[in-house]
Amino acid sequence: MTRRLWTLARKEMRQLFASPIAYVVLTVYVALTGIYFFQHLVSYNQLLFVYQSEGMTAGGFDQGTVPSQINVLNEVFVPSAEDFGLFLLVVLPLVTMRVFSEERANGTDELLLTSGLRPYEVALAKHGVTYLFVMLLLLGSAIYPAVVVLRGGLGFEHLVALYAGQIFYGCAVASLGLACSSFTASQIVAAVLGYAIPFVLLDFAWLSNTVSEHVAAILREAALLSHYGSFARGVIELRNVVYFAGITAFGWLASVASLELTRAR
Amino acid sequence: MSAKIEARRVCKRFGSVVALDELSLEIAPGEVFGLIGPNGAGKTTFLRILTGYWLASDGDVFVDGISVTRERFRVQARLGYACEQPKLYADHRVDTFLRMMGELRGLSGARLRAAVGVAVERLGLESVIARRIGVLSKGFRQRVALAQALLHEPALLVVDEPTVGLDPAQQIELRRILAGFRGQHTVILCTHQLHEAEMLCDRVALLDRGRLAALATADEIRTGGSLEALFLAKVGHGAGVVA
Repeated sequence: MTRRLWTLARKEMRQLFASPIAYVVLTVYVALTGIYFFQHLVSYNQLLFVYQSEGMTAGGFDQGTVPSQINVLNEVFVPSAEDFGLFLLVVLPLVTMRVFSEERANGTDELLLTSGLRPYEVALAKHGVTYLFVMLLLLGSAIYPAVVVLRGGLGFEHLVALYAGQIFYGCAVASLGLACSSFTASQIVAAVLGYAIPFVLLDFAWLSNTVSEHVAAILREAALLSHYGSFARGVIELRNVVYFAGITAFGWLASVASLELTRAR
Repeated sequence: MSAKIEARRVCKRFGSVVALDELSLEIAPGEVFGLIGPNGAGKTTFLRILTGYWLASDGDVFVDGISVTRERFRVQARLGYACEQPKLYADHRVDTFLRMMGELRGLSGARLRAAVGVAVERLGLESVIARRIGVLSKGFRQRVALAQALLHEPALLVVDEPTVGLDPAQQIELRRILAGFRGQHTVILCTHQLHEAEMLCDRVALLDRGRLAALATADEIRTGGSLEALFLAKVGHGAGVVA
């Protein structure tokens, strides 16, 4: 089984990197994260400059002091992490949309599923390679938060927690996109669903005024953002890990179910 | 090595459309068995059920006594399938693709190299081994599809419309290759080319609207005139329902 999985994974990697989409997504993601990180850094420097300048004495602050909440964690690290998460939501459906639907459209799923492969093996290889791609994306953008950690006096645990969070979050979003791709032969439909579902799940704050407090609390727990934020603050909470792992497992199971449903067509 | 096939009252329904209606067949080990019929007769549907790609709505198919419904992976280990309009990975080189399919079939090392070598030689793929599948002619793509189906020396070879869309020279060459499988595998050949079925098959089943309309041996066909005469007598010019 391991050998077959490895063979399938190599096929997936070959197909992924044979298409220009992988390179475009990598480039766009690294560029976007770089631009937004730089903007946060510039804003933080401007704030420091304003607070440390003489003019601020008139505003009630002692000259040269900076309020404790204005720090590199709050002004650069956390907002950058939020942006990075949003960018993952934007680029990942472009990668996941083709993974299953292309096989369906070309009919190559028939070749795979009559070759003695178990549907869970096919889904495992496709999901696994996509998760590796997510990690490659994150590796490409790791230099920015790493610089903050090294030069800004933040603890290394912040970087570890941030990247653990981004990996969990990215794999969950990718898994949902892959599940969408597995149910259709159309890459466009897969992409639309791959955008719609994670964006709906992202945050239910806009609903909180229209539903009861109890329902609002449940929705808050169901939202992606509620579980993502603490990672950037250097905290890895088990409940957040379980939440993202649950979504990832759900996406994989949905893909397996979709391949089984092909048989029962 | 060849397999015995037994289809028992196989039905396949797509909503209200009946694609296969209680189809029962027995195919002896080593037999070259032809499936003919108009479009929508249920030929490809039957092959997809036999290969475990689709599930029968009712009934079952047995390969050497193994149920496709209950143990499809064991059945798939015994069969090679070259499906209609070869569905292959266009961005793979022929050798890469064959090695990959061999590995997926559980071959490795020297056995894999030998299996790929034999399949390449049997199908005459030496000249295109390093080329991308996407740039091959339809005839060569069909040969690659057959090569991948033969890698693990299956007891049963299932071939769906192998010569459709090929030029006459490619058709003749592919028929020569298919004739070479006689005695080595049980072969199920689904085709629209009546003379091809007549030329290659020991027995031919004529399907019409999901039912077995006729079953004849090569001798019976010759005695009765031709397969074309049988086809026209049983089906006429009508067509089926499901594509």
